[in-house]
Amino acid sequence: MAIDIKIRSVTDLPRFRLQASVLIGLTLAFTQSACQPTRQSERLTVASAGRISSLDPALASTTGVLQVLNALGDTLYIRDNNGKLQPQLAATKPELSDDGLSLTIPLRQDVQFHDGSRFDAEAMAFSLRRFLRIGSQRYLVNDRIESIETPDPFRIRLHLKRPSSSIESLLTSPYLTPVSPKAYANHADRFLNDRFIGTGPYILSSFRNTQQRLLPFRNYWGPAPRNVGLDLINLSNSTALFGALVSGEVDVLLSNSLDEDQKRALSHRASQNLLRESQGPAMNITFVTLRSNTPPLQSRTVRQALAHSLNRRLISTRVSYKQREPLRSLIPPSLRGGKTEPWPTYNLAEARKLFQQAGYCTGRQLQIPFTYRTNVPSDRLMALTWQAQLERDLPNCVQMTLNGVESTTVYKQLSEGSFQAVILDWGGSYPDPEAYLAPLLSCKRSNGNICEAGEAVDGGTFWTAPGLQEALSRSDMLKGEQRLHEIATVDSMAARGAPYIPIWFVAPKAWAQNRLSSPTFNGSGLVNLAQLGERR
Amino acid sequence: MARGRELFRYCATRLALAPLMLWLIASLVFLLLRVAPGDPVDAVLGSRAPEAAKAALRSSLGLDQSLWHQYLDFLGELMRGDLGVALINNESVRSIIGKTLPASLELGITALIIAAILGLAVGFSGVAKPEGKFDLAGRFYGIGTYALPPFWAAMLIQLVFAVMLGWLPVGGRFPPSLIPPEGSGFLIYDSVINGNWSALQGSIRHLVLPACTLGLLLSGVFTNTLRLHLNRTLKSDYVEAARSRGLSETQVVMRHALPNALLPVLTIAGIIVASLIGGALLIEVTFSWPGIALRLQQSINQRDYPVVQGIIVAIAALVVMVSVAVDLLVAMLDPRVRY
Repeated sequence: MAIDIKIRSVTDLPRFRLQASVLIGLTLAFTQSACQPTRQSERLTVASAGRISSLDPALASTTGVLQVLNALGDTLYIRDNNGKLQPQLAATKPELSDDGLSLTIPLRQDVQFHDGSRFDAEAMAFSLRRFLRIGSQRYLVNDRIESIETPDPFRIRLHLKRPSSSIESLLTSPYLTPVSPKAYANHADRFLNDRFIGTGPYILSSFRNTQQRLLPFRNYWGPAPRNVGLDLINLSNSTALFGALVSGEVDVLLSNSLDEDQKRALSHRASQNLLRESQGPAMNITFVTLRSNTPPLQSRTVRQALAHSLNRRLISTRVSYKQREPLRSLIPPSLRGGKTEPWPTYNLAEARKLFQQAGYCTGRQLQIPFTYRTNVPSDRLMALTWQAQLERDLPNCVQMTLNGVESTTVYKQLSEGSFQAVILDWGGSYPDPEAYLAPLLSCKRSNGNICEAGEAVDGGTFWTAPGLQEALSRSDMLKGEQRLHEIATVDSMAARGAPYIPIWFVAPKAWAQNRLSSPTFNGSGLVNLAQLGERR
Repeated sequence: MARGRELFRYCATRLALAPLMLWLIASLVFLLLRVAPGDPVDAVLGSRAPEAAKAALRSSLGLDQSLWHQYLDFLGELMRGDLGVALINNESVRSIIGKTLPASLELGITALIIAAILGLAVGFSGVAKPEGKFDLAGRFYGIGTYALPPFWAAMLIQLVFAVMLGWLPVGGRFPPSLIPPEGSGFLIYDSVINGNWSALQGSIRHLVLPACTLGLLLSGVFTNTLRLHLNRTLKSDYVEAARSRGLSETQVVMRHALPNALLPVLTIAGIIVASLIGGALLIEVTFSWPGIALRLQQSINQRDYPVVQGIIVAIAALVVMVSVAVDLLVAMLDPRVRY
């Protein structure tokens, strides 16, 4: 006989639900009690993007590491916020020999390392030689310095391979900050990642890849920091950085990794006096690279036409809410010494005329594949906007097709000539025009206007001009106004050839809570962390 | 006894095959990394460094050797238990794993516990009235949490609870104002052992959001599995027999149906551990959790071959161990299982 049993309701389940509710309630209560923000220190919390894998100056290259090293160490010279070279560990400006091949630098005599040892010429020479042996960017220094000499305890002499004006700027680089020979005795030929013993206003109290603590160095030779210490934290995405500042979890935010709308939101808050915002000198430029050794971009007229067709103001507004400033030079404004920008402004009539001269617009369209880096959101927006702008302004003359490629692949294939037109950016390794012009324009071997070997090939333009390399070399031998003039000449030659079309520059920004003073930047685009403090 | 021998043989086979599997995975990762575009030298020097400088670095890192030579070197070191050093800063890969794995395990284990409690509670709550309100809500919850894009959900939770309400930290693993306790790397455990209560509070505050988010996203799998198997079990003959013996419904569910319905859940939990690594990456990125998945992603971006290889081998070994452990546990709990 079949037994008809229905699944009955579980009468005790309401009790289970009650128990579950109590349990959840207790958990929430515990969590809530644990959720009360705890501020247990007077130190300032400073957030930035990305983790710090090493604090060894010999490995430093990212902005995040340079920023920390700037607080922990000093350099021989610094660029002040007006862009002027000022002695830091050096006692005076460098003395250049008549032949320009020897640079003598007198050093301060009142400087101590964090471990108590004395800073002197031997210590400086040790640090420079160590960098020349193991520094990841030693090619920048090797190219200039032949040997290092210490004629007396507080005087260092650099013998140069060639006269170089830009070496003064190079000596402001945080990766050339001196380290204590005593502390680095066992690391003279290998990296010391999680410690740093230098001469700066802060000592490194603790180090983790995502958290570092900096405390004021009592025996610092210069002015004491305005704060009692810093807790630096490194967050991995822009939402976290933005949220940490808005929620008040961090005191200061240093970052260029924020999305454009987040930057705009923070600027808006700053305009309402809810935050304090500062902007430093731009060190990063963005440009279009045109492959100039094959048709159709082999024609200078076509490249010039494209240069005239770019509406930078519109593109900057659409892509970055005007937060990226239009640029018509290969050198950021802070390093140009007031010289004019040589690239043409947006001029539709001129662009059309040039396209017509090149045989387009009258039944024939220029087909141009434009590559953008898929992992850089602003690249894609720029490409889409320029494409739409050309479609609107010059529909009969030019048609742009877009290709998205991951940046690693772009860099790998650039020198192979894989891209007709590609959007890229560049930040100089030190604050000097040479750090922009040489890596973008140098050419070792050329044939007419085509570069066959050199940085112009590595950069994907394959372009040079008669006399360009000589002007570039000459500019590094001159000083002052003469040098600026020569640099402007090189910039103008590049503008006439138009292998690049500069788009905009990106100035670093920093935000602080309203109770703090506005962050200040030095001439290298790094925040002066020692000057962060309560508003006076 | 025969079953015990079978189980032993099965485990021995699985463990003996583990090195083979690890070798296959390591070889595949080695090959894929070299085939993928990008160059660790670019990550160290920058993409626009002179070719001569790049060639010099490539030579010092041994990257100018033939692929075959590099592969044999890698295998030789792996067999000696040496995972090599990071190309970026010469830090030992073993030390990198030692620093980051505890963070991921702490997050993963907490998330798994939350997922199990939450998922099983929701799945169980619908049993009283199949097709009722609670059952439908549980079904919706199971599908909904499973279907939520993890990155979006994590960001939303972060914005609401950390940014808007300010209840919990936006990211990180420990308050910047405190010094993390020394020890195993499991901060909650270390805080308790050291009696450091402010560190414990700080660790929990930082763990709550990422663990709850990951737990919430994983809980749907538990809900659906339990619902499905509990409903099936409640209709089985032995449950009917228990009822006919006059046992209360609570006794029937708790003593007879639930233990049997939980066995598949245990197997699912084992599979989830493997998928946890992928899920944890998105959570670790969103909440800046300094775990092994975040480090893996950064090392892939930098094409730091030894770190990527080492981390993947470590994760694979972990998954193999968990898988064998789950099989053993299921076999011990369920006498019907044969190998």
